[in-house]
Amino acid sequence: MGSTERRYFSPEIETMPRSEIAALREERLLGDLLPWAYQRSALIREAWDAAGITADDVQSMDDFREKVPFIDKDAIRAFRDRHRDPYGGMLCLDPKMTEIFSAIFSTSGTTGDPTPAPYAGRGPSMLVREFWELGSRPGDYFTYCLFTFRGPGIHDTIRGVGATPVFVDHQPADVPQLVRFSRELRPTAWYNLSGPLVLALEQYSARADVDLAEAFSSYRGVTFAGEPIGPRARRLVEDEWGLELFMHTGVGDVGAATECREHDGYHFWEDTCYLESLDPDGAQPVGDGERGELVSTTLLDKIAPLVRYRSDDLVRITHEQCACGRTHGRVWPLGRKGDEVVVAGRSVLPGDLWEAVERVPETSAGLFQVIRTQREVDRLRLRVGYATEGARGVADVRTRVTESVHEAVGIEPEVELVENELLLRQGPPHKIPRVAKH
Amino acid sequence: MVMFAKRYEDPPEVWGVGRVVVDGGVTPWPAAQADIEDEAESLAPRLAALGLEPGGVVLVVAMLSQAVHAVPLEQAAGRLGALYSSADATPFDAFRVASLVRQLEPQVVVGITGGVLDGLVEAGHDPTDALGPVPAVVTADDDAHRRLRAAGLAPRRSVQLGPTTAIEELDRSGPVYDATRWSVEEVDGELVISNLVPRLTPAHRLRTGVRGRVAGGGRVSVSGSG
Repeated sequence: MGSTERRYFSPEIETMPRSEIAALREERLLGDLLPWAYQRSALIREAWDAAGITADDVQSMDDFREKVPFIDKDAIRAFRDRHRDPYGGMLCLDPKMTEIFSAIFSTSGTTGDPTPAPYAGRGPSMLVREFWELGSRPGDYFTYCLFTFRGPGIHDTIRGVGATPVFVDHQPADVPQLVRFSRELRPTAWYNLSGPLVLALEQYSARADVDLAEAFSSYRGVTFAGEPIGPRARRLVEDEWGLELFMHTGVGDVGAATECREHDGYHFWEDTCYLESLDPDGAQPVGDGERGELVSTTLLDKIAPLVRYRSDDLVRITHEQCACGRTHGRVWPLGRKGDEVVVAGRSVLPGDLWEAVERVPETSAGLFQVIRTQREVDRLRLRVGYATEGARGVADVRTRVTESVHEAVGIEPEVELVENELLLRQGPPHKIPRVAKH
Repeated sequence: MVMFAKRYEDPPEVWGVGRVVVDGGVTPWPAAQADIEDEAESLAPRLAALGLEPGGVVLVVAMLSQAVHAVPLEQAAGRLGALYSSADATPFDAFRVASLVRQLEPQVVVGITGGVLDGLVEAGHDPTDALGPVPAVVTADDDAHRRLRAAGLAPRRSVQLGPTTAIEELDRSGPVYDATRWSVEEVDGELVISNLVPRLTPAHRLRTGVRGRVAGGGRVSVSGSG
């Protein structure tokens, strides 16, 4: 097999035996990362001091799981506010060390003020493995469709597989150029597609009478991220446009996870992070494949290391080997713990509602929010975006959405209809907030 | 410090395919790594002239599609021993501009558009309050420039001239381009640009779509753009 025909970008790592993964994890975590983080991160030091432990108390993975305290986004924000430290006590190095840092990027800011993140990267990220799996090869063009605030890491990574980035804005306004460059340059991979961009492409295709299946016929793989894709949008993208989607997600702010061609869970890289799946309301691990809260620890990031970070993400995780041959774990995102509402004792996550909303033609874009005044509520309240009022007016649309959701989850919702644009304006461009307080 | 993945091979000659306005239309514009680095070298004095110092921060507000213009500005910061940060030049991302200005206290903000000002207002910010603390604010279109001046600020202009960027300095005497690397002429009231040093994609009397005139000393005066 020629070097560009091989299945894996880094076969020695991607198919590493589980025993070697465990040994590598222990070496990196216990021997390097934890002492460093305890020594240099003010937030970690504060949390560990409060728990009455030091780095010397953590000599094994059992020690780690039993003794190391959790941190979460609230703790980081509280530290930030208490100490007027924009980095929330996470930084282990002075960000003004320009011999190390070149930039300061920021988180998406979906749930609050964007958090600054100093950037020291000078080279490709681990996403080279995913980009290779998408089908990108040296000499290919690669559609790089994102925003600026994530920094140059993706650009470096595309070049890291030997491909050439083609810059496209992740914006409805740039859809004509996305289609044009796809036709003219024939890229083989695309990072990233999202729900709002699918909607923009669908509208452009209808308006300009463009055959997207023809325009996109050169792509071997496209990542989809930001939020889950609904069944209707997936059918449109895969069956009508002919794109093979690779679902992609962040894992607890310590890395990313992406589907392989088996499409059976998102691979995360255990040489870069340690992921636990714990009881969402406690500290006990849940079983393989069971629903739990993702708790993440970096093995590599020595700039702002997260250690036992309770991500608020509900997931299933398995460490069983994938049919693709990779030995690293796989994760299935289920939703955010903070997005869950309990209506008359029944748990409802936004993902439970997607297909029901999409099923009504006027609301088929799947734009909706759960109104969550508190976790336990008496009524399921939804704000749903619509494209047109339909032949019989918005009252009829509301009735059909209500019935569709009732049928899906067994709870009759209270539905407020708003125009799609009102929800899309709440961006960022690749997703909308799925939960609103009012 | 941080581990990165190995490269498959040496990266391709083409650093990326951006875009440039030619004759009023968007044109794909392949650029080489050497082009980006040379442009960064060329732009570093512009940022220094705006007051960016070692250890300081420049916030570059742009779109990813403007990479052949924005990335050299970002890399120019590194040549001065400064850091850069980024935000999208959209109404959606204007909240990030306000947040990063507050948190990072940049010495220079480049690329403010009318759309960004609209977004600041929509997000509940007074643009004067949000951008007022920044020592040097550089606008990227006439709308933003006019509105910030009307609000009592003293913005500088920037304008994309084909593959390069001209940026006004603190003396506010017109955007400055690098006359050692680019030749700019005026043809029928439009600025036309040619490269004087090698570039992967050559510009030969390229019509920029920018109305203005050449003022000498590497300066232009602009009467209409973006």
